[in-house]
Amino acid sequence: MSKKSLFLLLVAFVLSLPAMATDFVELRLSGSNKVVFKFMFRNGSIADPVGQEGLTFLTTSLVGDGGTSTMTSTQLKDFLYPMAAEISYSVDKEVAIFTFEVHVDHLDNFYPVMIDLLTRPRMDEGDFNRLKSNVENYVSQVIRTSSDEDYSKRALEDFLFRGTRYQHMPAGTVSGVARLTLEACKAHYQNYFRQDNLMVGIAGNYAPALLNRLKEDVKKLPAGAPQLPPPVTPRQPDGIQVEIIAKKGALGSAIFTGAPLAITRRDDDFAALMVANSWLGEHRKSYSRLFQKIREERSMNYGDYSYIEWYANGGGNMLPPPGVPRNANYFAIWIRPVQIAEGLKKQYPELSDITIGHAHFAIRMAIRELDLLIKNGMTKEDFELTRTFLRSYIKLYAQTPAQQLGYLMDSKFYGRKDYLAEMDDLLAKVTLEDVNRAIRKYWRSDAMFITIVTDVSEAEPLAESLKKNLPSPMSYSNSLKESLSAEILKEDEEVSRFPLNVKSVVIVDSDETFK
Amino acid sequence: MKLIVIPLLLFLGTAPMGAGDVETPNKILPYPIHVHDMPNGLRVVTVPYESPGIATFYIIVRAGSRDETEPGKSGFAHFFEHMMFRGTEKYPKERYNEILKSIGASANANTSNDRTVYHMTGNAEMLEKMFELEADRFMNLKYSIQDFKVEAGAVKGEYTKNFANPYMQLYEKVRATAFTKHTYGHTTMGFFEDIVDMPNQYEYSLQFFDRFYRPEYSTILVVGDVTPEKVNALAEKYFGSWKRGNYTTKVTPEPPQTETRYVHLQVPNFPPLVGLSFKGPAFSDKTLDMPALDVLSLLLFSEKSELFKKLVLEERKVRSLWGGAQDSRDPYLFDIQASVVDASDLQYVKDEIMKAIEKAQKEPVDPEELKKVVSNLKYRFAMDMDSPDAIAGALSNYIWITGDPEALNRTYANYEKVTPEDIMRVASKYLVTTGLTISTISPDEKGGVK
Repeated sequence: MSKKSLFLLLVAFVLSLPAMATDFVELRLSGSNKVVFKFMFRNGSIADPVGQEGLTFLTTSLVGDGGTSTMTSTQLKDFLYPMAAEISYSVDKEVAIFTFEVHVDHLDNFYPVMIDLLTRPRMDEGDFNRLKSNVENYVSQVIRTSSDEDYSKRALEDFLFRGTRYQHMPAGTVSGVARLTLEACKAHYQNYFRQDNLMVGIAGNYAPALLNRLKEDVKKLPAGAPQLPPPVTPRQPDGIQVEIIAKKGALGSAIFTGAPLAITRRDDDFAALMVANSWLGEHRKSYSRLFQKIREERSMNYGDYSYIEWYANGGGNMLPPPGVPRNANYFAIWIRPVQIAEGLKKQYPELSDITIGHAHFAIRMAIRELDLLIKNGMTKEDFELTRTFLRSYIKLYAQTPAQQLGYLMDSKFYGRKDYLAEMDDLLAKVTLEDVNRAIRKYWRSDAMFITIVTDVSEAEPLAESLKKNLPSPMSYSNSLKESLSAEILKEDEEVSRFPLNVKSVVIVDSDETFK
Repeated sequence: MKLIVIPLLLFLGTAPMGAGDVETPNKILPYPIHVHDMPNGLRVVTVPYESPGIATFYIIVRAGSRDETEPGKSGFAHFFEHMMFRGTEKYPKERYNEILKSIGASANANTSNDRTVYHMTGNAEMLEKMFELEADRFMNLKYSIQDFKVEAGAVKGEYTKNFANPYMQLYEKVRATAFTKHTYGHTTMGFFEDIVDMPNQYEYSLQFFDRFYRPEYSTILVVGDVTPEKVNALAEKYFGSWKRGNYTTKVTPEPPQTETRYVHLQVPNFPPLVGLSFKGPAFSDKTLDMPALDVLSLLLFSEKSELFKKLVLEERKVRSLWGGAQDSRDPYLFDIQASVVDASDLQYVKDEIMKAIEKAQKEPVDPEELKKVVSNLKYRFAMDMDSPDAIAGALSNYIWITGDPEALNRTYANYEKVTPEDIMRVASKYLVTTGLTISTISPDEKGGVK
């Protein structure tokens, strides 16, 4: 076969069918050796009843990691094993997604089992007890002890959305998970996983007839749509509000900031803000401003980034994964762990008299950069380069069939047909004036929530320093300081006194979080 | 259950073939691998793949923490990876960043025991620019002492974020205990005291670059919307003048272990864990030892294993179970780990793992079960190869271990040859208590697992 004709075959065609009951997104890729199915239910952790936080996640786990009407979970694992067929699931604030991937050789055997799993899940008591125990373990221990970065990120959402159905982690709270029962999961699946709150996606190498079969098969789910809670918005911060989570044995201070953001991918202004955000803090990119200032010039941590929407598993993903669409949005800055005083004192005798580590300085540095951007806007040169970068970079978001399908389904969530293609068009049209206007319209440097996970030894002095807006000079080792330029040291001086509009600082015991 | 037969050809069905391509029958990777060796020792590997407009560009340097042989220099290969982003005379770091940004690529690097990998995925039309940038820094890297000292702080930041995790703390201890002489005794991150001392090692960093950033240590790998002709021409144009070096690392072999060793980490309010780390073999595609251990690890410790069903699904004493050997240039470890629900079951879980191993040493596995595992390995691989980056990632593994990308195809062919007797043989040869390090995490002061 010639390369050209194969290319034509490989070109995907996208078909979004009009919404009737279930929504469908189709992406045929005749060059692929597999088929990907995605079932996205509009429920998510906001659908958890009060007092049963974690119900949607446990219910989803019980289906995705359980058995079918004819196979126990053990038998199902045995059945799938030689095919290497994959079943995965995820739950975010507003959606629960099941993803199935199977090689074309096994599609016929796999398909009826997949439908049986979704429409007649086994919901076995043994599986329930096992999975509930794992979730309890996660919310009560793992989240607090495994990664201080993830901990501060989840704690920020708790702070930002306090009092709303967005507050708790999708995995739930300690008390919420403790109350979950098998009966509650069964009822939740019946009530919240239905035909009319479902979007089905199919991608890969399949016969057109499969789509018709799929449309019939999803009718086995209960008809109608569930009543979901009303839309949520983040709280408006009163100045800068800080929560410090004090934890025994923390090696550094892990920091996240967040402020409500009025727009999402749904809005055309998102493209303008995407340019500004990319310049300020593109995820894992060394050429963004925050990274340059905090890591490249000052060696304070591993990286510093900003976000205009939720970014799942930022520690592991280089590119943003699909499957986490949200209506409630916020702007965030992620400052990866910086050194604490106890650590610096042990490493460098010359720093033996310091009382706080680098957290206060790093926060000042990041907010000052944001402040300068709001005041001065981007330059024409930076704007052009960043736009050029983004127009190429966003094409890398959807390289695999699963990623392509995921982005198309997310597009529909936001009322778009093809978000990545449309964003490219918007980026082509956006002007420097649009970007600078969007920065001034949507971002503020004097009002935000900040969470810091740090060691117990650092919490009190850091809280004091933040509350009183005390100067926070950088504490470099002698060896490093003597090699820094006068320009950097001068800027340090300015940063160390940069006024932050701190209105409240609260210290929370790590044991009291996510209860 | 009816056995699923896998004719090898099915993996080839979707391969895009261009005019002049060589057929690659019976190979797990359904795309031809084009290899071009340059006179200076640089190897150039190209795999055309239908990804319209996108190409992945890797440079694999066959030097990692294994090559950190001098005391006080642990973590240096990784640190050096950071320094590679600090610019040259032609492209100082600001200009380098600007050009990198204009390419619009996803670019980064990572370091492990045996290698350092630099990777970039982006617009295939920018391939020449990628070559120009990479050639310049690989041949002409130049950074100031100030940049050097500053970057060392970022490495400390990386340590700080990673070692908040008790698993990482245990991993560091296991390696230091299992290896007393070999450089595998330290992690790629390095010992913390060496990281704190890094700013003082500027002169050594120049030596490190001189030793390892040489064509004979390196392979260029390009996958995607490209042709080998174009890639090879660009390699000749930009890397042709790169000079060979003359350094060879002398790693002290690890002396044979004679008894079980123990490591414990006391962590309250954290899931207890028991780990068993056996001395394993170095990777080889010439023997069946490593393929047999890969198959054994799936038979004994994957979700299909009897042990998983018993401990995780039925008794629910274990939350997760994992086991396997990492491909490596020198003999490394075969690790098994179980996250245990209750710390009082750590000994029981360890005993159950040992029972499963002893059974594997004495009783041949059911050939049908063996076929299912091989089927899983091959279908998983076939399904995973769905982007240029995925293909480059898979190939790079075999390039850094053997230097030869075809080792990937040979390895998967070897899985087909593994017999029940091979499984018994490798279980008896490697999974023995004289080569074992037992590691535990629990709230208690001592591990207590024998």
